[in-house]
Amino acid sequence: MQVALKIWRYDPEGGDRALREYEVDAPEWVTLLDVLDLIKDRQDGTLAYRKSCRMMICGSCGMRMDGAAVLACKTRMYDIAEAGHVPVISAMGNLPIVKDLVVDMAPFWQKFRAMKPWLEPGYVEPPDGKEHRISQERMNVIHKESLCINCGCCVSECNSMESDPEFLGPQALAKGMRFVGDPRDGRKVERLEDYNSEHGIWDCTRCYFCTERCPKGVDPRDAIAKLGAESVKEGITRDMGAKHAKWFVTSAKTTGWLRETELVPKTQGVVSSIKQMKFAMSLAKHGKVPPPVPPHVADKVDEARALHEIVSAQDRRGFLGHVQGERAIARIERAVEEDPEHATASRDAADVTPGRRLTRRTAD
Amino acid sequence: MRAAIEAHDAGADVALISKIHPTRSHSGAAEGGINAALGNASEDDPEQHAYDTVKGSDYLGDQDAIQILCDEAPGDVYQLENWGAVFSRTEDGRIAQRPFGAAGAPRTAYAADITGHVLVQVLYEQVCKRDVKTYEEFFAWRLVVDDDRCQGVICWDLMGGGLKTIGAKTVILATGGAGRLYVGTTNAYACTGDGMAMALRVGVALEDMEMMQFHPTTLSPTGVLITEGCRGEGAYLLNSEGERFLKRYAPNAMELASRDVISRAEQTEIDEGRGVDGNVLLDLRHLGADKINERLHGTRELSMVFAGVDPIREPIPVRPGAHYHMGGVDTDVWGRTSLEGLYAAGECACVSVHGANRLGGNALMETITYGKRAGGHAADWALSHTTVAVPPSVEADAERDLRALLDRADGERPWRIRDELAQTMHENFGVFRREDQMTRQGEIVGGLRERYERVVVEDKGDVFNNDLTQALELGFLLELADCMVVCGLARKESRGAHSRPHDYPDRDDESYLRHTLVTWADDAPKLEWKPVTVTKWQPQERTY
Repeated sequence: MQVALKIWRYDPEGGDRALREYEVDAPEWVTLLDVLDLIKDRQDGTLAYRKSCRMMICGSCGMRMDGAAVLACKTRMYDIAEAGHVPVISAMGNLPIVKDLVVDMAPFWQKFRAMKPWLEPGYVEPPDGKEHRISQERMNVIHKESLCINCGCCVSECNSMESDPEFLGPQALAKGMRFVGDPRDGRKVERLEDYNSEHGIWDCTRCYFCTERCPKGVDPRDAIAKLGAESVKEGITRDMGAKHAKWFVTSAKTTGWLRETELVPKTQGVVSSIKQMKFAMSLAKHGKVPPPVPPHVADKVDEARALHEIVSAQDRRGFLGHVQGERAIARIERAVEEDPEHATASRDAADVTPGRRLTRRTAD
Repeated sequence: MRAAIEAHDAGADVALISKIHPTRSHSGAAEGGINAALGNASEDDPEQHAYDTVKGSDYLGDQDAIQILCDEAPGDVYQLENWGAVFSRTEDGRIAQRPFGAAGAPRTAYAADITGHVLVQVLYEQVCKRDVKTYEEFFAWRLVVDDDRCQGVICWDLMGGGLKTIGAKTVILATGGAGRLYVGTTNAYACTGDGMAMALRVGVALEDMEMMQFHPTTLSPTGVLITEGCRGEGAYLLNSEGERFLKRYAPNAMELASRDVISRAEQTEIDEGRGVDGNVLLDLRHLGADKINERLHGTRELSMVFAGVDPIREPIPVRPGAHYHMGGVDTDVWGRTSLEGLYAAGECACVSVHGANRLGGNALMETITYGKRAGGHAADWALSHTTVAVPPSVEADAERDLRALLDRADGERPWRIRDELAQTMHENFGVFRREDQMTRQGEIVGGLRERYERVVVEDKGDVFNNDLTQALELGFLLELADCMVVCGLARKESRGAHSRPHDYPDRDDESYLRHTLVTWADDAPKLEWKPVTVTKWQPQERTY
């Protein structure tokens, strides 16, 4: 089949940046990486991109297709080519471009290292000089985080990092969660203190782009949420983000609604709130916020309170409150029961892009 | 990385050099697990592990080296766990172990089906902890030899451009395999035998180079690895008639026979017309969705993305593909080569623990145990010996040779040579080998090497010029192919991965219970032999 691509080229020596179009004849089973290889071999040897394993585990070939990060080796071209679409391929975002599709990963690895990404033994010593004894269920807490292949797709799409390049970002924080959630690690509280600093967990805008673009189902946003929950559990609530989250819970528990007028002082403090009084009055005048008195109480506030009690009774605070694994397996079973022919549910997120059934390769 | 950690902890000043970022190494693609007689799933001991490995090697493995591996393996695996490796767990919270091919006990410790990935991560974490200097995207090209000692490495700096020389009292090669010699391979694009060829070029011998393992379950059409863990969990191999054909080849072990045995069985089924479009079928369906998702999730994902097949509902089309080079740089049990200061460990080395056929799960273990031993020894040597001197002439020679390649304006692009090499190696030096085909392959490689002399690099720039490094990799591969053919022709028997059903169908311990050794002389491989170390286990007939 004919496959066409437009590639944003960048020549570091001349400084030229140009969108070039290429077309190759390729077997039906090719991935984006295979197409790039065909172009580099047969049309332009100067095209630069990283690659190695071609099986979604080394994390080399992160790049953008039509503006969203993908692993080139995971992206199959059949449907795209058949539809006559000519995708635009470019380097990942949020990292400096070195040449064509190659970015400088140094800032990425700097943030990775800033997490002190190694186990600091502490809480539990192995009893007999052998391995730690930990249940599989407990290790499942960091299962998704340990799938990370450091490809950078999440970082490429991170909106928060776009406005604050110093934001630790989804990959580093997921790596952080991998240690915070590890019962063998003895630095949990110190880590949470570190990750709660400026440019840390509360600077995430919760746009979920990282989770959406992760090719491995790491779900970095979930990792950041777990770090937040664990921070609050450990009483590390100095950041406005933590205060904000805490107030949501208090507000929902007491009146079943979010009480916006109290949210500002609870999050930003009294002084900051007074400075915003004029703005608040203006909002109130236009009916944008309900008057603070009498408190707005939801009709079925008892249900909200009961829910809070259940969660408290189960002690689902911190990262352990985030359900792992079992939900996913249940989902797959359901999908298979409902539609065995077309069920595509995977473990937890939509991290599998099912390929089209292949025509077999002939003796080429 | 394991060697660097050990050398650092021994007090040496260490740097890691890698042509790709360390976490991108192909060890990360190892799925199934790592073998150590922990005894967590059933009774087991290192002695049993050693016997299985010796038998699996078709008695070509050196038994002293195997004993060391199996004795040190449990401690080394506990250490990895203590460092933070995220292993799967048993009911009582210990490291989980699963059955693997040709193993007498469930001995393969695993982390779902991403064991290699988890271990690469934990090693890199430990490298970060120690702040070991890392030269990332430095393409190692030549070893510096002066005063009969290896004194450093000359690298092409991919990001910055230009040749960079790194002097060192000791150099440890840990560059992995050369699966890219074959069109159907589980190996990464990076697996081009760089370390083996670099050692060969400075006069160091390569051992057992004819021994290329074909993995029985590589995904059609791309060659992506489907882990042996599938069969460990109970998957069936079926032919086009829906028959579990291994009952005719390995009636006791069935799908858990040794890799060479299963690869030959599959190839025979395919050759005799009982394949399905050139494949056999790996059936996981009876394992159920839960088990597949929990323990073989990565496999399911690979199968869905690369073959469009969901193993919960359909069998996976698989065939044998080049997977692991048992052969490599000839070393002793401390990773030392014949050149002072030069060490090798892992797949690029041949200690030899795998002999003619490697057992699944032993490769990761070898990288850890022998990486550790090489790192420790190299550090001790460096700390107790003098200085390093890289003569300017060595750098000037390298610079001139590289310039000659870069300045060539006309000639053939390397890809056609690369593709022809991979295709013909597969046809003529694959699962089954014939005298006439191997001879022809020798001629073909000779022709390709001549063409390689006139190869042209299109990218002349300094920044991320992997057009250049890929051309240099092809040069490595061509020399290794030459060595393999010479060794394959010389071994007139069938042993492990070297199978000659048409002229020498049996193992011949009388003449060939010995290693091939090949050095490079007058621009061609020169063959010698080396005895096998036999300690406890005399060769016996090998059945499963």
